[in-house]
Amino acid sequence: MTVMRYRSYWISWGALLALTLLMLATETAPVYRTVAVSLLLVAMLIKAGVIGAWFMHLKFERPALVWSVAGATLLTAAALFGLIVPDGISAFRHAAQ
Amino acid sequence: MTPLNPYATATAPLKADWQGGVSPFGVPWQKLMMWLFLVTDALLFAGFLGSYGFVRLANGGWPDRSHIFSLPFIGLMTFVLITSSATMASAVGAAHRRDLKLARRLVLLTAIGGLFFIGCQAREWTSLIMEGARLSSNPWGVPAFSGFFFMITGFHGTHVLIGIVVLLILFARLSSGRATEEGVELVGLYWHFVDLVWVFIFTCFYLL
Repeated sequence: MTVMRYRSYWISWGALLALTLLMLATETAPVYRTVAVSLLLVAMLIKAGVIGAWFMHLKFERPALVWSVAGATLLTAAALFGLIVPDGISAFRHAAQ
Repeated sequence: MTPLNPYATATAPLKADWQGGVSPFGVPWQKLMMWLFLVTDALLFAGFLGSYGFVRLANGGWPDRSHIFSLPFIGLMTFVLITSSATMASAVGAAHRRDLKLARRLVLLTAIGGLFFIGCQAREWTSLIMEGARLSSNPWGVPAFSGFFFMITGFHGTHVLIGIVVLLILFARLSSGRATEEGVELVGLYWHFVDLVWVFIFTCFYLL
């Protein structure tokens, strides 16, 4: 296994902390809701990527493992959300009528 | 000599990995099993958050979380969990360098961070229950809100609690010289997963 330097972990920690503060600031910042939601989702995915790549060492693993784990999970979750969202929107429209 | 199949050289590494006799994933079976477990657990939480998203979309008057939760307090919880993930990653690094004394200290720090997080979660639950939140009702208009909150944070909190127990067992094994670097790595994977799930819960439930 590739042994990372301690510094790399703490740089990742700093990045995660900065993203968390940015996400909290988005809540109070005077921005459009669409912009805030987009910022939050992008920050969330970056944080997940940093944890997966550096803390869980996926950056140094073989592509077969990375695709089997991260790729499969993300694809399945995306399919799940992709199927649910239109249903939720139509339920909302139906309830509003 | 030019191969008849122009893709032969491109697929050679893939064939080498999958032709048998070698592990295509290049990791010990214990690590592969831990990864497979984490994938199934991730899909469990994906299902929870997916159903939460559906119910929230279908209900127009979802409560404003900033009026119910203290976002600075949730931010503090997030900070502690992220820091405990960093100490765990450093513990894994120390274990790989055979510095088991340092690994032991970092594992204990990680467990303390986890205990702090679970204490904060308990305080949050107590505060909501005192305000009248239950599994099937709450004072904020949409009954499903509190049900989803307790279910999602409850499942995550249980994972954190299990992680703390495992960390303390690992600490004892490191103290008695019975832990291996692979063992530390496996526990580290689980703990980072717990942090990873919190990233999604923190965003989807508290901020969006």
